[in-house]
Amino acid sequence: MRSAKSLLILALFGGALLFAWLTHGTGVVRDDPARNIAIPADLTVPLQVQAAYNDSTMFFRYRWPAEKPGFFHDILRYQDGEWIVEGKAVPGPQADGLHEDRVAMMLDDGSVPEFGRYGGYVAIGAGLAGLTDEAPEEVTKYLPQTRNRLGAWDDMADDAKLAAQREAGYFLDLWHWRGGRSNPLGAADDQYVGSKRGGDAGKGTYGTNWDKDLNQPKMMFTSGHGTLKWADIQAGTVTQDDTYALIPAVTVPFDPNAGWQNGDVIPRRILTPPEGSRGNIGVVGAGRWTDGYWDVTLSRALDTGNPADDKILKDQGAYQMAFAIHRNATGGRWHYVSLPATLGLGRPGDVTATRFQGGTPTWGDSWTDVTLFYPGQVTWPMLNNARAHAGAEYIAKGVPVAYRHSPEQLANYGIEQEFKPQIKRQWLFTLLAGVLLIAAFGVALDVTLKNRKGA
Amino acid sequence: MAAYHVVMVHFPIALWLVAGLAIFIRAVSDGAVGQTFDRALPTLLVAGVVFGALAWVLGLNVWPWSTLSSTPMGRNHMLLASWSLAYFALLTVLRLRHGTVIWQGLNRLVMVGLAGVGVIFVGITGTLGGHLVGNYTEVGQVLRLLGWEIYSTFYVPNLTIGVIVVVSVVMVVLALLGRNAAQKAG
Repeated sequence: MRSAKSLLILALFGGALLFAWLTHGTGVVRDDPARNIAIPADLTVPLQVQAAYNDSTMFFRYRWPAEKPGFFHDILRYQDGEWIVEGKAVPGPQADGLHEDRVAMMLDDGSVPEFGRYGGYVAIGAGLAGLTDEAPEEVTKYLPQTRNRLGAWDDMADDAKLAAQREAGYFLDLWHWRGGRSNPLGAADDQYVGSKRGGDAGKGTYGTNWDKDLNQPKMMFTSGHGTLKWADIQAGTVTQDDTYALIPAVTVPFDPNAGWQNGDVIPRRILTPPEGSRGNIGVVGAGRWTDGYWDVTLSRALDTGNPADDKILKDQGAYQMAFAIHRNATGGRWHYVSLPATLGLGRPGDVTATRFQGGTPTWGDSWTDVTLFYPGQVTWPMLNNARAHAGAEYIAKGVPVAYRHSPEQLANYGIEQEFKPQIKRQWLFTLLAGVLLIAAFGVALDVTLKNRKGA
Repeated sequence: MAAYHVVMVHFPIALWLVAGLAIFIRAVSDGAVGQTFDRALPTLLVAGVVFGALAWVLGLNVWPWSTLSSTPMGRNHMLLASWSLAYFALLTVLRLRHGTVIWQGLNRLVMVGLAGVGVIFVGITGTLGGHLVGNYTEVGQVLRLLGWEIYSTFYVPNLTIGVIVVVSVVMVVLALLGRNAAQKAG
């Protein structure tokens, strides 16, 4: 009888340990749209990169997997006399599969030293849109020195200082290819990150297809209202070979008397060729999705003549980059990002751009593999706070992020940051429960052994 | 304080691992070798707990509590270190209070099992400590294969915590019932 009880005690202890092992990590992490939280199923995504240049032009080629091509952003759906907006931004994937796929690359020439060590983290200030504690107004990526205090999104440096920073090159060049809002024009969005994420001087590729005064779309397809159907978009039967974007060649002013039927669709974005510095980046060939992969090649003049907007590239130059993609109908911060990588033009780098003669490069099979990861909600102020981040002292010393962290690690840390108070509480309870279990087991064994001794 | 912690942790790790070996040898040998290891066992265990407690306290002072408890790897290291200390304290108490009774009959197998669990706890604790200072091992990969991503905090849901509390109470109650039955029989 006593042996049976002893075995039962042992079984209970072992069973409790096993149960803890089998259930660990559950019960806390879950999507919570009210807190802007949506955790992707895949925490990492592979990206392949190639680079080449000739006497005047820089070329980057990107390739990454996507289950479906996202070339619709948001659309207007006709229903019972009204045009309803579909595809509004939400935390995580948009339910109808809307929101364009994208690839973005931030580029620097060393003028933002922290960028080369910490990549895009340096641009994630407090209060950014999409964070759980987002600011009451829309705040986009910004660099730390554009604010008077770390963590104060609304304490902007004065205009003279911001202008001087820009002049000194304290900004990141942002190459931003958009599957729906730029690719149909054979262009990418040439932007920057400084005091905000903004467009270079000039005009971008897209505007809103809505006439507020007339309360109707501004433009429609020339080929008639039947071009796009909501059912076809939802079914994924519209391809890149179909007419799907309001580019100049296929648009006419909207006609409200065109016999619109329920389910007719007009894109909510009007696309027109970019102008000025913002239009410096072109798409070589066409950004295409084939067999589960996007293949996009971008080009830009080595020297755009706009040093206040772009990082000027030179033969034998060394630069810093970080990449990001959006896929699976996501927008905002629900992207995958990379650690910083170096670029060498005719010299070694994580990505080595080879020099060639002629108009366009002949790409070989030599790719640089980059692991992109879901970054969660990790801000630059948090990373520099020694009470919140054990590595803050190493950032102060200039130790690069890659020295201590892998993309896989950072993806997990990013999620943990999104549930910090909940996980911290649950961890503490777990620690104490484990000690209680061990103590109780000890008491039980002690009593049992004493019985044996007495028997 | 980190450097002192790193120095200090080697003592409990060594002492507890040797204690685990001593328990195993004593469990399989009633001869002179087994007896020799058994005589050394109390010293190994007591010293291990003393140095373990010192290392644990030093570890708490490597970073402020807010920092330590904000870091997934820090949390995991802290959790396993606490469990290791508690676990070897349990083994120490059992050996000191019950002497050679722990080697009688099935008890010796129980001791081997307990020592095995303790060695695993200490091994994981040390591995996580290594990760914290940038010395990575493949043990982390083994734990991943077994279902724990070590870059995520180890925590259990409330249901499991409730089960642990109930199991803890039941274990003590079962033992006490056994004692009462033994007293009545005696």
